[in-house]
Amino acid sequence: MTHPLVPLAGALAQRSVRYVLIGVSGANLYGPSGQAVFTTDDLDLFVPPDPTNLERAWAACDDVQLELWLTEEPLERPRDRWLAERIVERCALTRATGPDDLLVDFTLVMKGFEFETVWKERRTFTIEGVPVPTARLLHIVTSKQAAGRPKDQYFLATHKDALEQLLKKPDVD
Amino acid sequence: MDSGPELERVLRSLEEAAEFAKTYRFEMTDDYLALIARVEAMPQNQSGTDKSGRWRGSRAHAAFLAARATLLPRRT
Repeated sequence: MTHPLVPLAGALAQRSVRYVLIGVSGANLYGPSGQAVFTTDDLDLFVPPDPTNLERAWAACDDVQLELWLTEEPLERPRDRWLAERIVERCALTRATGPDDLLVDFTLVMKGFEFETVWKERRTFTIEGVPVPTARLLHIVTSKQAAGRPKDQYFLATHKDALEQLLKKPDVD
Repeated sequence: MDSGPELERVLRSLEEAAEFAKTYRFEMTDDYLALIARVEAMPQNQSGTDKSGRWRGSRAHAAFLAARATLLPRRT
């Protein structure tokens, strides 16, 4: 049983793409394996405002046969530097979709943070042997707090309870 | 079996959660920041840790299982 991110994470590593996993999926990695996972529809990958890096990220998606979307439309071809520059200028989000409802967002924005700050302090976890750069939990929750959407507020409240439970357990993981 | 009351209860709790989320403002208190620091400092949260088991129970995992599940007739 393969984690849905693994094939893409492998391809991203192969192409030396810089990214960090953020959002609920990133926060989930900080809990022990027995703890409830907070559900989320998507995986959020924060990428730097670097067209070359974004081009490589798109190529990695092609490598593992993921579809790429810009808003509701398929991302046009050629997926070249010109297009990547336009996307970076607009801080637009590109979305990759694949089997089993896999939904991965390449975002150029993480509320309250510059990419380099998050990148510098990342944790690189491994999933099935593949490296998955992940934002610090502090950065994830701070960004959610800054975003201030109701769903983020609700997540923060319930996530705090879950962390308190985690620390109460005598033998975690 | 009448599932009405149960469904009603679930829907009510969802509405309550949505209302709560609209008005609630989460505070990043010192205690909370200390909690985050403790979790980040745990040995299993350092770079290099294997997190392969962390997606079980997620929606993606449920979709993965659903796509492969075979429905069998109920035994009577």
